[in-house]
Amino acid sequence: MQKRVTFVEQLEMENVLTKGRGHVSTRSMDPERGGLESLPRHLGRETHVDMSPSNQRMKTSHIPQTLMSVPFLQHPALATGRRRHLCSIANVYSTEHMRQQMKRHYLNVLHTYIQSSVYTSHLKAFGKAVHALSRVGDELWLDPKVKGLALRSVNSAHSAYACFLFSPLFFKNYNLRPATEHGAETVKCKLAMKCVLPLFRCLNSIERNVEQCQISVGSPDDQVMIQFFCRHGITKTHNLRFQESEALQAVFASHLCPNVLKAPARLFGDVVMHFPSSQEEVTLSMTPLRVGLKNYCDAVNDHMKTMYTEMSLHPDEFDYFHVGVDSNITFCLKELRGLLSFAESHCLPVSVYCGAAGKPVCFSVEDMVLEATVVLATLYDPESKDPSQSAAMTLTDATQRCAEAAVLPVGSCEANIGEPEDIPAVTEMIASSQGSPMNVPPALMLPLLHTAGVCVPEDHCSSANSSPASSTICSLLFRAVSLEQDNHDSTARPPVLAFYSDEEENMEEDTDSPSL
Amino acid sequence: MKFRGKIVDIACLNHFSRVITTISKLTKMCVLRLTSDNLFFVLSEKVANGGVSMWCELSQANFFDEYQMEGVSTEDNEICLEVTPENLSRALKTVQNAKAVKLKLTKKHCPCLTIAAELPTLSSISRVVTHDVPVDVIPRRLWHEFKEPNMPDFDVSIYLPPLKTMKNVVDRMKNLSNFLVLEANLNGEMNLKIETDLVSVTTHFKDLGNPPWGEDASQDGGPSQSRDPQAMAQARVDIRKLQQFLMGQQVNPSKAMCNIVHERVVHLILLHEDMSLQYFIPAVA
Repeated sequence: MQKRVTFVEQLEMENVLTKGRGHVSTRSMDPERGGLESLPRHLGRETHVDMSPSNQRMKTSHIPQTLMSVPFLQHPALATGRRRHLCSIANVYSTEHMRQQMKRHYLNVLHTYIQSSVYTSHLKAFGKAVHALSRVGDELWLDPKVKGLALRSVNSAHSAYACFLFSPLFFKNYNLRPATEHGAETVKCKLAMKCVLPLFRCLNSIERNVEQCQISVGSPDDQVMIQFFCRHGITKTHNLRFQESEALQAVFASHLCPNVLKAPARLFGDVVMHFPSSQEEVTLSMTPLRVGLKNYCDAVNDHMKTMYTEMSLHPDEFDYFHVGVDSNITFCLKELRGLLSFAESHCLPVSVYCGAAGKPVCFSVEDMVLEATVVLATLYDPESKDPSQSAAMTLTDATQRCAEAAVLPVGSCEANIGEPEDIPAVTEMIASSQGSPMNVPPALMLPLLHTAGVCVPEDHCSSANSSPASSTICSLLFRAVSLEQDNHDSTARPPVLAFYSDEEENMEEDTDSPSL
Repeated sequence: MKFRGKIVDIACLNHFSRVITTISKLTKMCVLRLTSDNLFFVLSEKVANGGVSMWCELSQANFFDEYQMEGVSTEDNEICLEVTPENLSRALKTVQNAKAVKLKLTKKHCPCLTIAAELPTLSSISRVVTHDVPVDVIPRRLWHEFKEPNMPDFDVSIYLPPLKTMKNVVDRMKNLSNFLVLEANLNGEMNLKIETDLVSVTTHFKDLGNPPWGEDASQDGGPSQSRDPQAMAQARVDIRKLQQFLMGQQVNPSKAMCNIVHERVVHLILLHEDMSLQYFIPAVA
């Protein structure tokens, strides 16, 4: 490859920078170089040279004095032409040139970054979280706390719970009002999903048009105000009425789960793709040698018509694989898909915590600025679904009653929690509003109560199939809260120790609930 | 009765899936006939279907790398299964990137067509996915219902216009009327007409060309010679059946033709390199 170089003495340094590159890159037309050349003028380039590949006429090279006087260039055999050629190549790599390139690149990136703020992508993530929650339930709980904003949803059968916790860093500004007169930190509000979802429905248009989104909770008249500041100076304000309501929160001790799996979201997405979207339930079976997933068909008469799908995964495919107990758990796939699509869009790994059949399974995703969890109830007994279902039904009554009761303050209970302090971060995530860990894993939902480290025996939950059961569960919860209560002492009636001052009367009623 | 087939080539798998998807758009249930050389998807004419019938022929060598079939007996070396093509299509769609796909006739809780696919994974061990599609075996005494249909004694045969265009037209017409009159002549002209109390709409297609059936036609004297090229043969069909046919087309055919028997039946033929699909829509009064 011959380089035909013509030298013209009288061009300035500016041209050298561009044309020097022209010398190097003309033969192999670099599209990136061309791109850099087309930077906005105001970034400091006066001359804009056209680097067209057809321009075979070589550009000139002016050799600076410093280079000319270098000893190795004084060799008699080195002709002028060759010397200048060497200098032109050297120019490309000169520090001055490099510095200019880097500055240009930096300004370019900064320019692009300012245009598309990182917070817009966060807004998209927020919207995706709302989508995922909409697949779980019809109501959205907004719970601003010191730790961050928690979005929660529970399905109508109370067999699925999802929580997205966004830390304050996720937001450009995160301001919590000081405690109100009720003693609570902030307002806990419940919104109808069908009011919130349409605002975030079209994520692409949000990404394109919305520059900023502001969410204010608890403005004077019991409203959540969501404002979108869009391009062209348009502001869209949505005022949504909320109901003040104690959030239902799943109590789940991830660290007590014998089986833990962790894999990239892609893997779960690929696996779940094989099941049709109408497929309600799947059975996940785990042994130390393999993990299997198959669809679950409960009605006998459907056997003839439904398609069965089964697949198995090898432990190597997981980032983390620990199976302590061989298990077959059956849960509903529908609610999970939202979380999986959220995780896939953020390329986050998904962790699965589960135990034996009947115990809930938890899928969680975490990042530096957000944490998402979905807790699903599993079928207690593959043959008879009824116990867990009726337990679900009665538990809703229990939760209503218990929800009216105290949210217990931190002070009195925390000091005596049987649970050690080394609870992994994953339980922190599902902590109560007081911020201390929650440990009791009954099959289904529990209200935002403070419960110490008592493992509620599973058979209590599954045998709950009539109205006394609700009281059973309710008193179990209270038992769990008690300070001096022993695990196995099922006969003692625990005294309830702490409660909201303005709900004392409710508490007294509850302590009169029937015995176990 | 035994059947085992294996598809290894991704393009073949893709093509096969698309054929099955086309079939699944045409009908909910159909009969799959397996012979040693071909696969046939047959929908026989029944009142329940609205009188439409379908015959789709695939040559197994074009899709399967391995194909073993043992029929009901040596003289009837065929297998007839009633299957829901949508299940098959769904199963195949999810395994598009498989290393190999095996189709087997198995008996689990009921006779099933099992699709077992080996999917590539990041680790060394490939993932195996199994889909069991339940099927019904058709007894021999009913096989006569699923024979290859005879070419009807058509009056006009014409090439169809681009299916997409036709689909757009028919989609719009469907909003206005339930019945559509399809007419064509031997001059390469085809009209789609609808008529209601308020409006009548006709779409004209010209220069479509007529397939040269002349030498093949065993009908009386060859219709092409004796028939006036301008005379239109028409048939009034249920527009939804026509729309269903046009909607499902996933594979671009090399040839698409239409034979019309005046006031009796519309016979649509799609030919691809390795597959042929025939669809009969009866005319309504």
